[in-house]
Amino acid sequence: MKVGFCPACGARLDAAASFVQEFWAGADCHFLCWCAGCGAMCTVAISPRLVSSEPEH
Amino acid sequence: MLSQEKNERLTQVGPGTPMGNLLRRYWWPVATHDMAGRVPVRRRLLGEDLVLFRDASGRLGLLAEQCPHRRASLALGCTERGGLRCGYHGWLFDADGQCLEQPGEPADSTFAARIRATSYPVAELGGLIFAYLGPAPAPLLPRYDLFVWPDVWRDIAHAELPCNFVQIMENSVDPYHVEWLHGRYGSFLKELAGEPPVQVVTRKHVKVAFEVFEHGILKRRILEGQTEQDEDWKTGHPLVFPHMLRVGGGGIATFQIRVPIDDTHTWHVWYQTYRFDSPAAPQASVPVYRVPLHDAQGEWLRDYVDGQDICAWVTQGAIADRSQEHLGRSDLGVIMLRKLYFEQMDRVAAGLDPLCTFRDPALNECIELPMERDKFGGAQAFRQMWLRESSIRYSPIRDELLARFGAVA
Repeated sequence: MKVGFCPACGARLDAAASFVQEFWAGADCHFLCWCAGCGAMCTVAISPRLVSSEPEH
Repeated sequence: MLSQEKNERLTQVGPGTPMGNLLRRYWWPVATHDMAGRVPVRRRLLGEDLVLFRDASGRLGLLAEQCPHRRASLALGCTERGGLRCGYHGWLFDADGQCLEQPGEPADSTFAARIRATSYPVAELGGLIFAYLGPAPAPLLPRYDLFVWPDVWRDIAHAELPCNFVQIMENSVDPYHVEWLHGRYGSFLKELAGEPPVQVVTRKHVKVAFEVFEHGILKRRILEGQTEQDEDWKTGHPLVFPHMLRVGGGGIATFQIRVPIDDTHTWHVWYQTYRFDSPAAPQASVPVYRVPLHDAQGEWLRDYVDGQDICAWVTQGAIADRSQEHLGRSDLGVIMLRKLYFEQMDRVAAGLDPLCTFRDPALNECIELPMERDKFGGAQAFRQMWLRESSIRYSPIRDELLARFGAVA
């Protein structure tokens, strides 16, 4: 699994100048992405399941 | 993991590569002051073979090693008042690379005027000789505080390491290694040697933070028992982009300068300053010394902090294979640094100055960098440990340092 396109502008992230770095947080595989096209930096998380929590109210 | 293609982009420093183009926008230490004399010396920087010399009038010069005539090494040359004369056929080049004489050519020949050796600007600062291998106009040579403080002692240690410079830089944004490589592994080695465990560097990291700022990446940490009011968090210390770590405390401040010789070798320079409680007479010159890498059995020396770091860096491989690594959340500093290199490569490709380019003399008189004084929560304890456990243990002035700091050998 990898992140192929910028979530902000859709440019290819495997273009030489852009940066995609995989790292792990527990069971979640994260990709820190920086797009040389639009300058957006973001983290994409590929998770085996969605965990949501409801704040106290 | 990082793709193989991006790992190559990150680590290749030669001419025409994206990282090579970025790094050529900076001044690099190419020698210590004692290396540049009348005898030309070979140096290698960013994958280029060079010859450094001081001509008979005292002017420094840095030329590509091969003579433009028949490609003999200019290291086999004679330094004269006007420059460097090739030992093979006597062609004379000044420090700007201009050919001044070609003794074998007819007296009325104008051939020399059309011949230049590749030359690079050089400048001396703080006991180091810096070179600029990039496009004109060169930025200012940064006058970082340790290079220009008037009232400190200095020494310069150096060693040539068989690995790429990026993996060394990554160590500088990896705070957790301190408690494991130096704390746990260092204590394990002490245990095997029948010595008490190491102090100071064993405390658990509770929180770390990294922040890109005008000088690079500012690194902060909170150790067990500390709060956000401690200097390790409140002040922190920087990775100075693209090639230095600033570290120290308790009157000792060091630049660890990582100079890429080529893709698989790094000249590591420990540039130290010492500020004593009572004034000391100025030094006549800055002492320079080599840091040994191996013990008598040929094993990597690893019974002290800098040796342990060196061991980790070189055993990652000549160029760490980042396509095989597994990073976690504790590696976010490393990821931030890689991203910063990519971003700055892109700036250079777009024709812009990268981070830490200085062109205004008013801002370059003394570039003060942040650094905690009470490192790891205690200046005295840190200084005591650092004098024993860092490359300072090989300094020719170590005994004087111990005496002036009132430290125990």
